[in-house]
Amino acid sequence: MNTENKIVTAGIVDDDDIFTYGFKKSAAIKNLFNKVLSFGDGREAIDYLKDPRNSNQLPDVLFVDINMPVMNGWEFIDAFAEIKLKLGKNIPIYIISSSIDLEDIKRGKNNTLIVDYLLKPIDKIYLKDIFDSLQNQTSPRKSNLL
Amino acid sequence: MSFSEDHKFSGESIAHFARIIDSIHLGIWEYNTDTKHVKWSSGFYTALGYVPGEIECSYNYFFEHLLYYHDKPTFLKATYHPRHGESPVAHIRLLTKQNGYQWFESTTQKHDSKDGPVIYGVLTNINTLKINEIKAAENEFRCAEIGRIAKIGSWEIETATMNLVFTKEVYDIFELNNHVKMTIEEAISFFEPQYRPVMSHAIEQAIKFCKPYELEVLFRTARNNVIWVRAKGVPVLDDLGRCTIIRGVFQDIDSIKKKGITLQSSINLLDDQNKRLQNFAYIVSHNLRSHAGNLKFMVNLFEESNQNDDRTEVFSHIKTISESLSSTVGHLDEIVKIQSEISKERKVIDFDTIFNNVASALRTNIVAAGAKIHTDFSDCPQIDYIPAYMESIFQNLLTNALKYKHPDREPVINCSTQKAGNEVYLLFEDNGVGIDMPRYGDQLFGMYKTFHRNSDSKGIGLFITRNQVEALGGSIQVDSTVNVGTKFTVRLV
Repeated sequence: MNTENKIVTAGIVDDDDIFTYGFKKSAAIKNLFNKVLSFGDGREAIDYLKDPRNSNQLPDVLFVDINMPVMNGWEFIDAFAEIKLKLGKNIPIYIISSSIDLEDIKRGKNNTLIVDYLLKPIDKIYLKDIFDSLQNQTSPRKSNLL
Repeated sequence: MSFSEDHKFSGESIAHFARIIDSIHLGIWEYNTDTKHVKWSSGFYTALGYVPGEIECSYNYFFEHLLYYHDKPTFLKATYHPRHGESPVAHIRLLTKQNGYQWFESTTQKHDSKDGPVIYGVLTNINTLKINEIKAAENEFRCAEIGRIAKIGSWEIETATMNLVFTKEVYDIFELNNHVKMTIEEAISFFEPQYRPVMSHAIEQAIKFCKPYELEVLFRTARNNVIWVRAKGVPVLDDLGRCTIIRGVFQDIDSIKKKGITLQSSINLLDDQNKRLQNFAYIVSHNLRSHAGNLKFMVNLFEESNQNDDRTEVFSHIKTISESLSSTVGHLDEIVKIQSEISKERKVIDFDTIFNNVASALRTNIVAAGAKIHTDFSDCPQIDYIPAYMESIFQNLLTNALKYKHPDREPVINCSTQKAGNEVYLLFEDNGVGIDMPRYGDQLFGMYKTFHRNSDSKGIGLFITRNQVEALGGSIQVDSTVNVGTKFTVRLV
């Protein structure tokens, strides 16, 4: 496989505009992710994923915040589980949150759709690891939270 | 030797009897009321621990030196009993030689002899019996006192006849002066309706399956006082393992139970407050972390980016974060203030005045929204409350109603007070977008919980309102229908 040419699209689901901006900007600076889609809450993300017109522009990885209005991170993951099989693509999900609530962390651990639970601010080296692993189809190392 | 032939004593047996009587310390005396002559049998002396002749045999000596002064009236009453034939019995104390005063039973009989009217008497030592009797009476009294003080009585059901017997204390708890006999059904009818089946079932189980029970139930006394009682029943089994009697106690535990209930509600309140504090700590940590994280993120980006345009944009975000940090700290201040203001004095405040103050402060928003506001505080125009809290409550409710107005219609807001007994309710109703109660109902009053895509939503107003209301012992409830409106019911006191 020619890894150099693999295009990796990330999706970020977060109501925090500044974080989304920073994520995009820092991805651009570090040359991570060829494209970053952003969604203001879970509902927007689900609507996008479900829309057949987007079926060839689905993200390769999703970074999901927990505390969001309208549809929060947990509700999104439940909704995602329902449409997962119809997407025709395996999209790993990372939780990115400021919540150090043990209940949230435990919940992340018990959900098989969630690859890892990252605390904000995100570690750029770890983000690069995720990007590289998606390019090379390998498993990234994990944070020590889960 | 035989004492008698048929029912008659023989001549010899009488002398034999005299010996027996003398030797069993049975004292016999006779007293001629005319001549004042007194005779005592030798048993009389020995009963008192003397030998005949050792003390003066006279009525005077008996009355002044042997008979306990307190028992004189009793003795006289029995001795000079007017009717013939009967033998009145008196219990008296006599001074013995060795053992101080001892209890004797005195039986007297009058007889007219040729020398004049004679009173015969028999004295029997009943000291042990009497002491036991006194002790028994004392114990019984003590038992009754314990029952009375502990408000505890006992009862019995004989299962063969279903006969129910109460002690006096049970009637006291029933507040029944006359100790009427009651059937089980009648007794059960004194319990509050919801506990009657419980009681019937417990008694039935005790009889059928020999199952003891202990219940704390509400009971209505004959004087219509509703009290908590403990009803405890224990089956008594016969040799075949059948329940023949249910024996139980019945106790008035009203004051304990009510204290317990108050205590429990205090515990629940503390529990709630603790949970809220815990939640509060998480929220604070979450918010400060997210601002701090963003700040670090942006500062790094600022350093990494080399284009001026990028730097300008990043810096504008840094400014936003700095503002958000100040406002988060401001929210914390407001929440801390709730606790510090609670110690401030309550004042009698006018709903109308406070509402108008708040409304005029929000005039621009009200006019911009084209809102129609109706108030009616006539049912309860005033309340003893912390003025700052009331202002804040009105402000949050009004701001919310304006913020979440329905896009298709002008807001109509109704605000009124209602008095119900000692409680005062504030009702606040709007025709706005409403809240999806099944989804968000439980989070509505949480901190930083927002449910609308509305840039004004901070998720702090209702959190503060609930804390203020609860800090003064009230509660807040919400009914809402999406696209119809929202109604807040605030119990202020």
